[in-house]
Amino acid sequence: MSPVFPMLTVLTMFYYICLRRRARTATRGEMMNSHRTIESNSRTSPLHAEVVQYAREVVDFSSHYGSENSMSYTMWNLAGVPNVFPSSGDFTQTAVFRTYGTWWDQCPSASLPFKRTPPNFQSQDYVELTFEQQVYPTAVHVLETYHPGAVIRILACSANPYSPIPPAEVRWEILWSERPTKVNASQARQFKPCIKQINFPTNLIRLEVNSSLLDYYTELDAVVLHGTKDKPVLSLKTSLIDMNDLEDDDYEEKDGCGMDSLNKKFSSTALREGPNNGYFDKLPYELIQLILNHLTLPDLCRLAQTCKLLNQHCCDPLQYIHLNLQPYWAKLNDTSLEFLQARCTLVQWLNLSWTGNRGFISVAGFSRFLKVCGSELVRLELSCSHFLNETCLEIISEMCPNLQDLNLSSCDKLPPQAFNHIAKLCGLRRLVLYRTKIEQTALLSILNFCSELQHLSLGSCIMIEDYDVIASMIGAKCKKLRTLDLWRCKNITENGIAELASGCPLLEELDLGWCPTLQSSTGCFARLARQLPNLQKLFLTANRSVCDTDIEELACNCTRLRQLDILGTRMVSPASLRKLLESCKDLCLLDVSFCSQIDNRAVLELNVSFPNVFIKKSFTQ
Amino acid sequence: MFSVIIYELKHFNHNESGNLCHQNLVPQLRLTLRGEINPITLFFHWFDHFLRVADGVGGWRDYGVDPSQFSGTLMRTCERLVKEGRFVPSNPIGILTTSYCELLQNKVPLLGSSTACIVVLDRTSHRLHTANLGDSGFLVVRGGEVVHRSDEQQHYFNTPFQLSIAPPEAEGVVLSDSPDAADSTSFDVQLGDIILTATDGLFDNMPDYMILQELKKLKNSNYESIQQTARSIAEQAHELAYDPNYMSPFAQFACDNGLNVRGGKPDDITVLLSIVAEYTD
Repeated sequence: MSPVFPMLTVLTMFYYICLRRRARTATRGEMMNSHRTIESNSRTSPLHAEVVQYAREVVDFSSHYGSENSMSYTMWNLAGVPNVFPSSGDFTQTAVFRTYGTWWDQCPSASLPFKRTPPNFQSQDYVELTFEQQVYPTAVHVLETYHPGAVIRILACSANPYSPIPPAEVRWEILWSERPTKVNASQARQFKPCIKQINFPTNLIRLEVNSSLLDYYTELDAVVLHGTKDKPVLSLKTSLIDMNDLEDDDYEEKDGCGMDSLNKKFSSTALREGPNNGYFDKLPYELIQLILNHLTLPDLCRLAQTCKLLNQHCCDPLQYIHLNLQPYWAKLNDTSLEFLQARCTLVQWLNLSWTGNRGFISVAGFSRFLKVCGSELVRLELSCSHFLNETCLEIISEMCPNLQDLNLSSCDKLPPQAFNHIAKLCGLRRLVLYRTKIEQTALLSILNFCSELQHLSLGSCIMIEDYDVIASMIGAKCKKLRTLDLWRCKNITENGIAELASGCPLLEELDLGWCPTLQSSTGCFARLARQLPNLQKLFLTANRSVCDTDIEELACNCTRLRQLDILGTRMVSPASLRKLLESCKDLCLLDVSFCSQIDNRAVLELNVSFPNVFIKKSFTQ
Repeated sequence: MFSVIIYELKHFNHNESGNLCHQNLVPQLRLTLRGEINPITLFFHWFDHFLRVADGVGGWRDYGVDPSQFSGTLMRTCERLVKEGRFVPSNPIGILTTSYCELLQNKVPLLGSSTACIVVLDRTSHRLHTANLGDSGFLVVRGGEVVHRSDEQQHYFNTPFQLSIAPPEAEGVVLSDSPDAADSTSFDVQLGDIILTATDGLFDNMPDYMILQELKKLKNSNYESIQQTARSIAEQAHELAYDPNYMSPFAQFACDNGLNVRGGKPDDITVLLSIVAEYTD
């Protein structure tokens, strides 16, 4: 063989390899193009079997309509197979949240919203469910059986609640998110949003809801999780890439990092200023502050990294008077708190609701933060903050002498003795203890010392033994009380009501829903009406003894009434309701669901005469 | 491993004119036979076998209340409790108490009253746990003889113990017993035991020996023969109920109490018949 041949062979081979590579690139390029046009629905290859699961357990939630230990209208109904779907109606076997519409925002006990709340955070309630097996989710279906349309966000967590080993890292990923939209029907539907693909398997799903556009309570029957056990073959992101989506992702990604990297950069490098910044620095300090007031928190942190001037502005404690960290609950951890500490010395309103769970915030981290930032604190929101323990409440009572507003709603893991510390906060004006395990002695102590109380919520506080004693104490000590929530206070009687009515004449709002031991024949409702002329909201939900006399007394005496709920009584007639509507010109909400004398025709007739009143009549079939 | 094969039977209603009209009970009872389903797909719960009857107290018709609504809802709630595993097999009174409390949690203002009889078979320990409030009841028949039976609970003649929810204006007047007042028993069962659960419509019209005669005709434990037997027991009781000369157990009891009556007692009759059999998948 001549030496040419080997050369030729090598060259040919070389050429061949190059050609093949080009060919491969071309093919891949083509593949990429065709994948971009694939819709997000069809992503799994036929080789992967889909696993379909109903929820195994409900592990956490922010509120519900039903009683603790009951299976009627409680969140635990969301687990397992559906009980009602596809029927529509108001059924006991569904999961129902505590509120709907904007009614609770319109009553005297409503609190003002925090400044700097990002417009894309609209969640009002949440529920977390686990499933048996971890899967890469391909779909999440929500079976809604009454007034659908509340679900606005679905998230997946990387932690496996059933694994004995605590996870190294816990991540939450948004699978789907949308603004609240009005759904016109109140019929049952199977909600099937298009979810994003994620790169970790999950068996912990979280639904966030907003019920503000709904005409009545939404009811959910079940959640179905579709997924594959193996990671889908297509590692390319095949869902339609939405630019806004990416933006949100960036927010979520950099949120915690923004504050981390800020601190690092600030401490190590000198920030250089460019020669030309458009005379921005000529603006008065206060004006720049005003402009920055409109930025959301992550934007504020990012802006701080741009130049020395803006860094000074963005770290000014005056920007952090209202600090709403609830929208960032999925990322907020001890490190974030540490980096915010320096700027939060003047914070007055702090919202840590929903944050810190699954080990994100530790007691030490919270305590450190509060030691630095607690002195000016006036309002503290800690709803569903399950990291709290007795020490935390002790720290709050010591570090926040100016606290006026404390929300511990649904902190059901707090031990009873933790509440003893609240009595030290003598300036408290608003206290929310919905669904907590506070006991009688601690509550009596709080009522004794916190004489400035104007708003008190004891809804579903099941560990209180005798509500008559509580009512008596309230009547004796809390003379300034304006709103009182005694929802599901199981043993309050006419004696308690008498003490309340005589002791708290300023009462504007009273929720006595599902208090079965109140009997109209004792005259307790009539007494309420006569002694509380300022009443704007009165809920007598499911009190079967409310009768025409009570309605007439309300009509005579409580002309400022705006919201009235008399669900489930057989003893009220359309005639007395007419008297009420004629007398109470401000009435805007009247719930007469399951009132047997008030049929649909009666409601229609009343609607014609009083078109500004929303008369609610729920049904089961 | 034992299992209980449960068959539910026609529930005879009698309306005002005494005519017979059939009304099938909802077949959920048969679904109480549960097992493990393939764990790759959906997940169900084990639960023990569970029988229940409830008899709506008829006097409510005079107040415009449908007596079957209360008892029906009570039993559906019991069933839901059991399906979701919120019960302890050895505490059937707990099922009754929880179910009654759940009725009060309903937005709908339920009214009415009912007796109740609950029978739970614990598969692992082969024991039967029962709770009975009122004059419904059960019989356990082994080898042609009654080995266990429930006791009737009555306040006075024809006024059984009953769970009730009264309208507010009649609070003190309407008889309302607490679920804790139920009689509770537990005993072992064997393969081949026949468990008969029924409302007082059966026991008031058919004495034990007649029931046992019918049960003797039961040849094997397949669905058809058990259904046939239960049907014939219920039909026979129904016939006897309208026989004016027959000395029914009800008439006998009345005579013992100084009331001179003869004949059967027309009433709603519900009969549930079950056999303890070998467990099969």
